[in-house]
Amino acid sequence: MLDFLQALSDGVLFGATYALIGIGFTLVFGVMHKINMAYGAASVGGAYCGLLVLQVMAGAPPLVVFFCAFLAGGLLGWLVYLTCFHFIPITNPLATLMATVGMLLLIDEIIVHTTAGMPMAYPAMFDDVMLRVGEFTLRGDLMMVFAVSVLCMAGLLALLYRTRLGLATRAVSQQTVAALLCGIRVGQVNATTFVVTGLLGGIAGAMIGASVGTLSPLLTTPLTVKGLIVTVIGGLGSVPGAIIAGLMVGGFESVLQLYRGVTERDLYVMLLLFVFLVFRPGGLFAAKGGRD
Amino acid sequence: MDFYFGLAQIIGVHTLIGLSAYIVLLTGQVSLAQAGFFAVGAYAAGMLTVLAGWAILPALAASALLGAAVACAVGFPALRVKGLMLVIATLAFGEGVRLFFFNFDYQVAKGGVKLGPLGGEGFRQIRYFPENGWTTMDVMLFIWAFVVLTMALLWWFDRSRYGAVLRAVGEDELAAQSVGLNLTAVKVSAMTVGGAIAGLGGGIYAHYTTHIEHASFGILLATFAIAYPILGGLGSVFGTLLAAVFVQGFLVEGLRFLGDWRNLLFGALIVVAMNVRPRGFLDAPTLLWLKRLFARTGGGSGAA
Repeated sequence: MLDFLQALSDGVLFGATYALIGIGFTLVFGVMHKINMAYGAASVGGAYCGLLVLQVMAGAPPLVVFFCAFLAGGLLGWLVYLTCFHFIPITNPLATLMATVGMLLLIDEIIVHTTAGMPMAYPAMFDDVMLRVGEFTLRGDLMMVFAVSVLCMAGLLALLYRTRLGLATRAVSQQTVAALLCGIRVGQVNATTFVVTGLLGGIAGAMIGASVGTLSPLLTTPLTVKGLIVTVIGGLGSVPGAIIAGLMVGGFESVLQLYRGVTERDLYVMLLLFVFLVFRPGGLFAAKGGRD
Repeated sequence: MDFYFGLAQIIGVHTLIGLSAYIVLLTGQVSLAQAGFFAVGAYAAGMLTVLAGWAILPALAASALLGAAVACAVGFPALRVKGLMLVIATLAFGEGVRLFFFNFDYQVAKGGVKLGPLGGEGFRQIRYFPENGWTTMDVMLFIWAFVVLTMALLWWFDRSRYGAVLRAVGEDELAAQSVGLNLTAVKVSAMTVGGAIAGLGGGIYAHYTTHIEHASFGILLATFAIAYPILGGLGSVFGTLLAAVFVQGFLVEGLRFLGDWRNLLFGALIVVAMNVRPRGFLDAPTLLWLKRLFARTGGGSGAA
């Protein structure tokens, strides 16, 4: 029982990073009705860019590294928008999908090329702190990851629901044509969404690096798959859904890792997705009708 | 010379997996599960010839059937969700299949040697071709016979009522439904045909490489599968062939002198190609132009 609780809490804490990635996919989907397949890779790429600080300024505190990953993620998000969405006609979803897949491969290869494929150590904060309640422990670095992720989500929700930019974003996501008629610059809103999701992705990548302890290009594929699964389980286009689904998937996979081992773990996550597809295809928080 | 035959084998198998994605793409659905069907076919055909001692042709037929059956079974739940959800569902399915074979052990001792799939180690010694004395050229001709057959079949589909139905669903689902087409039946049938082609391709792949492992059937292969028809254009089956030749022949082999940079170029090239030609190399206007060109030269020689 204790093992179960321990695995569950570790998983839910780590699941916060899945939630961040899921939010990124879901926001872009909500605004443009397209999937940005390069998102997972761009997030890991942002985290790698954070490491560049250590090259320039040896021994920089982890906070600076995280902040740089955050900024680099935003920049990468904008680049992905420019290369894969801006110039391709909106009526051609296949071309944008394929272009983002190309971008995924490109970012992945750039990482492999510059690091020679070796995993790199990532700085963490509070990794020597352990909260103990009897046998039950909470790892300090995982709690930091969780706290930062929650902070980012709160920031995002505030941005979406308390600012004019958020209002414009939600307007475009609900009715693009109507938003256009109201004088909202849809292109600009789309680009901003990519930058915002990129910023979130950068911090998510850094948090994953911090909790795992290393970054490796091998992270991109599982991260992309998990992020997309979280998006579907939460309901495409739903931000709260992505948050809850992210924590859920994190806890679920951690518990199954305990009972079934690390090689079979992901198989059960896929099964969970199919259970949702069959019994609740709209996800936890399905958007109301009319959406593709 | 064997090098070129080997290259032709790779291009042939990749054309097959591209064609399997092509027919699904015609209905407007993007399936990233083709690598999964391919893996199912590869393991099934390998086990049939190695463990059960079947001949190659029945084994390939069985792998195609199995691929079709799996695709049909996946198609029903997955196609309940539309468009982008399907991309995710099929992506997860493909990864699921890969992980299944990563954990799949089934070994039988034969003549003192243990044969069969062994989890992460993969499945070695699928030696049907060498044991029966096939040369590289024989294998290549064998593969291309299947490629030509499949292309002819799909080309004929394109010209039949079935092809029109597929394209109608792909262009506008609502319009297709309102003229009385059963969307689910059409999509699942396309998925099934695609699964059969992928299973066949997988069976062939298992035999010419002689060693398969789960890592070969990952997202990269699924990406290649949809990349060929999208890069080549959905106007004609020849687009897929052209893209497979271009990617495998030119990008992967022709640019080998660039070393690691070649992989960078691949991603960048897809991005550029999609920006410049969003409808693929052989899009509708290009096809029309080609058709006119051939009609003119054909007519000219006829008159002379």
